[in-house]
Amino acid sequence: MQSNTFKKLITGLTFLFLISFSISAQQGDPENGKKLYNTNCAACHKLDKKLIGPPLKGVSEKRSNEWLHSWIKDNNALRESGDQDAIDIFNEYNSIPMTPYPQLSEQDINDIIAYTDDKPTGDLAATTSKASDPKVALGKKLFQTHCVACHKLDKKLIGPPLQGISEKRSKEWLHLWIRDNAALRASGDQDAIDIFNEYNSIPMTPYLQLSEDDIDAILAYTTVGDVKPVEVAAVVADIVVATPKSSNRWMSYALALVILILAVWILVQSKNGFLKIAVTIFVTLLGTYVLFDSLMDIGIDQGYQPIQPIAFSHTIHAGDNLIDCEYCHSSARNSKTSGIPSANVCMNCHKSITEYNGPVTSESEKAFYDAEIHKIYDAIGWDVDKLAYKDNYEQIPIQWNRIHNLPDFVYYNHSQHVNVAGLECQECHGPVEEMDEVYQYSPLTMRWCLDCHKETDIDLKDNAYYAKIHEELAKKYPDLENWTVADLGGKECGKCHY
Amino acid sequence: MLIQYKIKQTINMASNKKYWKSVEELKENSSIVEKLKQKEFVEEIPADQFLGDKDTLDSSSTSRRDFLKYVGFSTAVASLAACEGPVIKSIPYVIKPDDITPGVAEYFATTIADGIDFANVLIKVREGRPIKIEPNKESSFGSTNARVQASVLSLYDNNRLKGPKAKGEAITWNKFDTEVLAKLNELKGNGEKIVFLTGTCASPSTSSLVKKFSEQYSNVAHVVYDAISESAALDAMKEMYGKRSLPDYDFSKAEVIVSVGADFLGDWQGGGFSTGYAKGRIPKNGKMSQHIQFESNMSLTGANADKRVMIKPSQQVNALIKLYQAIVSGVATREMSPLNTAIQDIAKQIKAAEGNAVVVTGIQDKNAQLLALQINKAIQSSVIDVVNTRNIRHGDDAKVTQLTADMKAGKIGAIITHNTNPAYTLPNAKEFTEALKKTKLSVSFAMSDNETTNASQYVAAIPHYLETWNDVLIKKGQYSLTQPTIHKLFDTRQFQETLLKWLGSNETYYDYLKGNWNNNILGGKSWNQALHDGTFSVSVANEENLVNDVDISAAGSALSKIKGSDLELTVYTKAGIGDGQQANNPWLQELPDPITRTTWDNYLLVSRIDAERLGLENRTVDNGALNGDMVNITANGVTIEKVPVYIQPGQAPGSIALALGYGEKGLQEEMSIGVNAFPFAKGIFHNASIEKVSGEHEFACVQLQHTIMGREGEITKETTLADFVSKPKDEWNSPPKFSLDHQEVTQDKVDLWEKFDDLGTRFNLSIDLATCTGCAACVIACHAENNVPVVGKHEIRVSRDMHWMRIDRYYSSDMTVEKGKEEGIFGTGDFFNAQIQPSDAPEVSFQPVMCQHCNHAPCETVCPVAATSHGLQGQNQMAYNRCVGTRYCANNCPYRVRRFNWFKYFDNNEFDFNMNNDLGRMVLNPDVVVRSRGVMEKCSMCIQMTQLTILNAKKEGRPVADGEFQTACSNACPTDAIVFGDVNDKISKVAQLEKDDRSFKLLDFVGTKPNVFYQLKVKNTKEA
Repeated sequence: MQSNTFKKLITGLTFLFLISFSISAQQGDPENGKKLYNTNCAACHKLDKKLIGPPLKGVSEKRSNEWLHSWIKDNNALRESGDQDAIDIFNEYNSIPMTPYPQLSEQDINDIIAYTDDKPTGDLAATTSKASDPKVALGKKLFQTHCVACHKLDKKLIGPPLQGISEKRSKEWLHLWIRDNAALRASGDQDAIDIFNEYNSIPMTPYLQLSEDDIDAILAYTTVGDVKPVEVAAVVADIVVATPKSSNRWMSYALALVILILAVWILVQSKNGFLKIAVTIFVTLLGTYVLFDSLMDIGIDQGYQPIQPIAFSHTIHAGDNLIDCEYCHSSARNSKTSGIPSANVCMNCHKSITEYNGPVTSESEKAFYDAEIHKIYDAIGWDVDKLAYKDNYEQIPIQWNRIHNLPDFVYYNHSQHVNVAGLECQECHGPVEEMDEVYQYSPLTMRWCLDCHKETDIDLKDNAYYAKIHEELAKKYPDLENWTVADLGGKECGKCHY
Repeated sequence: MLIQYKIKQTINMASNKKYWKSVEELKENSSIVEKLKQKEFVEEIPADQFLGDKDTLDSSSTSRRDFLKYVGFSTAVASLAACEGPVIKSIPYVIKPDDITPGVAEYFATTIADGIDFANVLIKVREGRPIKIEPNKESSFGSTNARVQASVLSLYDNNRLKGPKAKGEAITWNKFDTEVLAKLNELKGNGEKIVFLTGTCASPSTSSLVKKFSEQYSNVAHVVYDAISESAALDAMKEMYGKRSLPDYDFSKAEVIVSVGADFLGDWQGGGFSTGYAKGRIPKNGKMSQHIQFESNMSLTGANADKRVMIKPSQQVNALIKLYQAIVSGVATREMSPLNTAIQDIAKQIKAAEGNAVVVTGIQDKNAQLLALQINKAIQSSVIDVVNTRNIRHGDDAKVTQLTADMKAGKIGAIITHNTNPAYTLPNAKEFTEALKKTKLSVSFAMSDNETTNASQYVAAIPHYLETWNDVLIKKGQYSLTQPTIHKLFDTRQFQETLLKWLGSNETYYDYLKGNWNNNILGGKSWNQALHDGTFSVSVANEENLVNDVDISAAGSALSKIKGSDLELTVYTKAGIGDGQQANNPWLQELPDPITRTTWDNYLLVSRIDAERLGLENRTVDNGALNGDMVNITANGVTIEKVPVYIQPGQAPGSIALALGYGEKGLQEEMSIGVNAFPFAKGIFHNASIEKVSGEHEFACVQLQHTIMGREGEITKETTLADFVSKPKDEWNSPPKFSLDHQEVTQDKVDLWEKFDDLGTRFNLSIDLATCTGCAACVIACHAENNVPVVGKHEIRVSRDMHWMRIDRYYSSDMTVEKGKEEGIFGTGDFFNAQIQPSDAPEVSFQPVMCQHCNHAPCETVCPVAATSHGLQGQNQMAYNRCVGTRYCANNCPYRVRRFNWFKYFDNNEFDFNMNNDLGRMVLNPDVVVRSRGVMEKCSMCIQMTQLTILNAKKEGRPVADGEFQTACSNACPTDAIVFGDVNDKISKVAQLEKDDRSFKLLDFVGTKPNVFYQLKVKNTKEA
């Protein structure tokens, strides 16, 4: 809320005085560009990956500066003008029109382009140094495809740790075992039988499809192991989340103070009666405006970012590891709630991922992350050493702090939006895959809901439910092609309040 | 657009009948009625009390400035408090059960069999909590009544037993088992008798368990006893057809139905007949059934009859004998009495119906029941089925009497009661309670503390039926299963589970049940399928029916010896409370009785003539509430003191009646009301004497509330079959006509408003007044679906009930005093011909009224904050969070369907009902908001249900099929009188009904264009 005060002051001043406060900006300031990018673009674009829109890194190399300006300001107009590039992009990205940004100044756009050109620190992919040997690299790839579900390099999982396995067993034996361990056991090989017994008589999947070279590659990888990342970029810490912009806050205070001092000074010093009256009116109006606007913010928890019982990072799960949102929030497709995943869903992966191996910072060390993972085990009663659930364990549910709170009198259904409308989660929840701690991205006000309902077209053609009404509408309003959610009753009170 | 028309509305009078809700309206110039017509909110806000009273004001220390200070302070505090929201927790499962998706409801098929109600139902379960009961329409007993609908709330009753008890102290189940088993073995050693006394279970697996127990403990007897006894009918069946079970009746086949005192739309012989009955009540090809009812007090069945003959119980016996003589013996009595004429008439009609007729009787006497069976046999009735009989009543009064005597004599070692409360429901309850103390062991299986548990040594807490496994054989060949839909809430154990323990088995009852079904019932078919369906039918071999030779003449002569008396007292059951086992259920207590429209009470029904004779009065007080005198009743050697008197139109003079199920002990204070009528429950009737005592009883009667501005004359429509068949539609259901520039035009020419876009779905609700029996299942269904609060007796009394739908009961008569005297058709009693008033023998019609969802809604235009608005799909929507509570809308509603939240009805000790405790709140529907104080609420056409149906269709990418759209009321209606759907879907049932000739809209001349419409009632008044 605080960060908004500055904006309000600015708009308030503009509104009253028609003075434009131009904050001095240099040509293409990537810092400012980053801010603007995060506010305006991040919901649909990533720098290095497709999201709803194309990746934007180095986009200025592909398109001319003018083209980019006109596209950003009003891509619809650009397309209508018959620009082939614009039309192609539109078609390529599922004909989802990009929101026009007429409000962005030339300078703003230059800033954004500067940011997308600049190799931004925040979006450095964690460059784990690749092992130089291509064989090891292939081995790693194969290992991660076939083996990680049951093996780790340095620890027991379902199967034994594999680091340096070729020192313990002969190459031939390992080949035989990997390709068909059951046959090896059947042949009476004592080692094979012992291992089988040691690991709870769970037979290993045979890998007849792996070639000799493949197996050699895997073994090479298990010998070399993971080379520790040479440089750990401060990936986690640098991702911009909506942390209160302290500079803004102080600036707004300072500005308010300056205005106040100025006003008091005028009132006390000035002999000009008209000026005094003008200043009094100005201060009153400005004060009222700021007060009113702040009061309107009551109950709006945009930016609410509570501390959660587990320091669960969406950056790691959805961002780095690209886990689909609906893997964990599976009821978003079927139910009115998106569903907080139950601990057994965590265990699907965390049975084998027992520790954190990603980049660390001085604030959050590996031990910290590992402890967080262990909180799941405490909740569900998983014995890490025995790799089994504890018997008669009294499970303790994890009490998350709810971030998105709608009042009781609002009915909201996730499946309506995710399943029927096909919205991406990010459209309302923001770039969750970049949030270490999730915060409320959207204001969740009724105006916010309705604005979207008024703008979003319903796809009447591809859903048989709408067939009848589409026919009737087309007959009655032959000139209209698109109908928004609001046109079909999406702004009626009773649709969400019952 | 404002077009000025000169509109002259021509009022259409379908018939010359006068309709009224309360006798108060028949009085000339009643100021109260006038006031109620003019005011939606009768109760004044007591502003005068504190503002007008100068003394109080002067002595008050709060000055105007203080007041402003407080207002300012509280506003500031409220704003500041709002700045910081509370931290809300989201707690997911640790291990989520596979089949549960939070936010999505699951349905389970199960069966209720609580001894009075038997039905196959579907349970809606949200996040593991049962929240709504729906009829299982794919089964043969899939219709619900108000009690079945409300039974879900009884699950969350705070009054339930939380665990087993011994001599009033809580003990563990282990100790309970050890102690009881020790005593049982001791009794077995001594060869003493162990008796199970239960209500009707109709459960094959339970019976087999009891049998096993009998084998192990040798001297064991199982006595079945029903609070609402059908012992006489069962004995008659035993004598005539050799089996002690009830015949089934398919009223849909009947052309002529004659009932002598049988409330078959109520609880007669277990009920559930209304579905079949309703099928014959809609004229098809100019034909419909004719229903003649002989009865003393106005029952639901009598209210629906085409012809109702009110006679007192002793005369009913007489009427049955005469009917028997006329039909079977062919002897026509030439007695010149109106009753006899009517009976000769009926006999002719029955003969003409050629077997498509039936005579039923509710006279609690074996001989009377034999007579009725014999008549049906003689006319070869196709309606009655004596082969595939119903098992839902098994009680044997004689055995219970014998048991009590044996207990008294010390012949009984142990008595184990289950699913029954004999210390309350037996006519000789006191004697039973005394006798109970003479047994060496008494164990009572019960859900909550009651008279029997208090008298027993051990109390075994049993779970609600929604927490248990069981099976029921409702009818021969029709098996049903009961399955748990929630984990047990308390430390309870079902009766069968305990029996297994006592038998030394480690098997669970589930395993036993499944084993029994696989071995004896399913015949190789799938258990899972049966459980999924909730029912399993086996084809019954068409066996030859054994018919015993019964001496009917002896039965008849025994009957004819029954002497009447001046005041004959009978008991009856109400649609809400029934036998009283759910008396602690506030939904049922607050349900207005369909006939008397009174809540939270039982009372003595008295006819006007008797009331005048005895100087008893009902008074309507200034705010429209009803007060009554009180009497002491003495009958059967028992006196009940201070019983309120309710003067009931249509009550046969010389008869009085009292409802069962009230005055039970151990209930929550609010529910401990009324008097216990069970001491009078036995036999046909009791000679009673009543004596007026001082004091005045305050009723919570809603009959005068929400009066439709004196338009009752036009609000409901009915016609006769003769007119319906032979006359053009305009004569019996004419649309309103308007005159515009001296031309008579139809309504669409004079509309003040522009039309809405009528595209896509438009919801319509059709209510058939011909098949609506007034049973009130829909009212409770609406209560449960929409989180309607219970407001309590006092609030009901001051017109603040919150029911979203009401079933208006109108009395009507086209009879004037002169006409009545002239024709003398009311004079059915010897002494009853002096004074005939229209209110003495009225006809009755029911009309469910909820928000009519007007296309041109008067409420919408007056709301200053646009909290109520029109939806494209036809609903009149109400946004509670927008409402500021001006109540203009309610004042402007011609149908009086809006309800104002005068108080916060949840979390408020003043309203200590289910919304005031955590357990009771579990029944709330999470998809519907609990409304707060100061807002208006009303029927939403179950928008949460229609929205879900639409969403599911959208997800699956398909159009919505007809029948998919439902509301709580349409789903609950056992007679399909309420039909809901998309009227723009031209093949839908509701679209067909809208075009039907019988269709009309409420007060259509007002021009509101409702989306709810009605089918007018047709009465088959033809004479033979």
